[in-house]
Amino acid sequence: MSIMSYNGGAIVAMKGKNCVAIASDRRFGVQALTLTHDFQKVFEINDKIYIGLGGLATDVQTLSETFRYRVNMYNLKEEREIQPKTFAHLVSSTLYEKRFGPYYCEPVIAGLEKDGSPFICSTDLIGCTTFPNDFVVTGTAEQQLYGMCESLWEPNLEPEDLFEIISQALLNAVDRDAVSGWGAIVHVITEDKVITRTLRGRMD
Amino acid sequence: MEILFGFVGKDYALTASDNTAARSIVVQKRGEDKSRILSKHTLLSYNGEAGDTCQFSDYIAANIKLYEIKNGVALSTAACTKFTRRELANSLRSRNAYQVNLLISGSDPKTGVPSLFWLDHLASANKVNYTAHGYASYFILSTMDLYWHENLTLEEGLGLVKKCLKELKIRFIGNLPDFFIKVVDKNGIREIKL
Amino acid sequence: MALKFELPKSGFNFDNYNRNLILESKGLKSPKTIKTGTTIVGCVYKDGIVLGADTRATNGPIVADKNCEKIHYLAPNMYCCGAGTAADTEFTTNLISSKLELHRLATNRQSRVVTAMTMLKQMLFRYQGNIGAALVLGGYDVTGPHLYTIAPHGSTDKLPYVTMGSGSLAAMTIFENGWKKDMSREEAIEIVKDAIESGIFNDLGSGSNVDVVVITKDKTEVLRNYKRPNERVKKEQSYKYPRGTTAVLKTSIRNFVDVTEGVATPMDLS
Repeated sequence: MSIMSYNGGAIVAMKGKNCVAIASDRRFGVQALTLTHDFQKVFEINDKIYIGLGGLATDVQTLSETFRYRVNMYNLKEEREIQPKTFAHLVSSTLYEKRFGPYYCEPVIAGLEKDGSPFICSTDLIGCTTFPNDFVVTGTAEQQLYGMCESLWEPNLEPEDLFEIISQALLNAVDRDAVSGWGAIVHVITEDKVITRTLRGRMD
Repeated sequence: MEILFGFVGKDYALTASDNTAARSIVVQKRGEDKSRILSKHTLLSYNGEAGDTCQFSDYIAANIKLYEIKNGVALSTAACTKFTRRELANSLRSRNAYQVNLLISGSDPKTGVPSLFWLDHLASANKVNYTAHGYASYFILSTMDLYWHENLTLEEGLGLVKKCLKELKIRFIGNLPDFFIKVVDKNGIREIKL
Repeated sequence: MALKFELPKSGFNFDNYNRNLILESKGLKSPKTIKTGTTIVGCVYKDGIVLGADTRATNGPIVADKNCEKIHYLAPNMYCCGAGTAADTEFTTNLISSKLELHRLATNRQSRVVTAMTMLKQMLFRYQGNIGAALVLGGYDVTGPHLYTIAPHGSTDKLPYVTMGSGSLAAMTIFENGWKKDMSREEAIEIVKDAIESGIFNDLGSGSNVDVVVITKDKTEVLRNYKRPNERVKKEQSYKYPRGTTAVLKTSIRNFVDVTEGVATPMDLS
């Protein structure tokens, strides 16, 4: 039993055409015991950046507070909104600072850059960033998500198609993971709006 | 073996905790109230490692009281939870972390809307409708899942508590004789005898 | 209540170390970090240095990144390939790169490869191998071309051709078989490409594409994805779901509004 699968959870983010989506399951449990199914794992950083935190729940909550604090300090100091790439480096440095006593948390970031192009990023628990041009996944259903995403994802998806792809990838992945699932939430970020949908999924 | 559970009803939050202070196989005391009053409308119930629980809950209660005295306004239940979680998370980074499980129950003094928060020893916090800590959760979460609804009156709530305790009496090896049942509502915190 | 948040001081923070020991003592295994299984190489040729790397990052048996960058910038005349713990190679090279930049600004001189090599080995030695960075450093300075390997514990070698990472054995066979003194640029790039490809195809920790960097006296060329021997074929069919497939419980849409500033009234300075 790894520390990363103590509470369970699955998060995925995908690029689309001038849009980006991030989705997570909503289960919170302690090993095999499910306690709530409205646990927040995806957090809004600003209008156009969302971060999903997968891993140990206490660190998910601690890190979400840390990032909120640091982004607020950035906004006050710089008097401008943080950009996705900058935020990714903020996340990376925050994690690497604890290289020899890490937070058990692997974040994924989804956002739109200034020019409206999609941005996704994932890091490992000590802040090693990767910037792929298709999708990023994290959590206990990581392997299942990789399989789903590799087969479903294609370039230049419109927001509505991207929603279907990311939702089906997530729902089908968590059905094969005992410690993830119990509902899902999807955010699709476009130039002019954020569409948030909660999904119906298996509750077992 | 300690039992701590709770739920929110229509206009109250209820917690039930056993009143036994045990060490290893020895019962040291019956009638131990394993809770602290954080404010007029917020109650902290706990169990876990004997010394840690008292130490930690006294620390939290004192600091939240201090805040109230300093600012002339009490923290909300959610704010108490945020503070408690952060303190527990920070203590986790030390060599000897507090081994405590907590429930924070409260009621909004103005609207009377009840709320209940679950925190475990790793400092994960969750707002819940009904919940339990420890072994008890394996027996009574299903009972509460079946009978809980959001308009639970106090009478129905006490019925639910009885069902849960009965379930524990039947199936749980550590069947404990007596419980403190505490209700928080608009009027404050009070104990209820079944 | 005291302020619990403070912006961190520089350097590593060990706050979580004890907690994690406790968690691990309860039998919960610590998770793995992303490694670059990696084949990285470098070789000296007539006019300078050629560096090469594959582009696979792994997380246990999972390919974490199919096209990552392992040749890191250190200075305009210097690049560094990294193998080992990916975060460590990334942050170590970034840190030294920034120190070199400040050094250049202070001295008004081009950075020397020995300087970078010494800074890297001293840092890695200080951390006793706990920073898992295995590096191939190549550059051209006033004293000519230099090629080094730096192991995680801080030992270094200076050689005409070097390989590192899990694919180092496969890559070395190519060099041992084909390396010559004073090769041309084309020959050097070719042998570096062959060395990386032998890693890509024979070592499971390495894969995807070949990145190449050529450093000469007064020019540095970054040939990102110089060769892509593992191009994915286009999907023959689309697996798109028809819109409306997913059962939605609740939708909320938040529209952004553009705030345009009104006519600015000048400040009254009287």
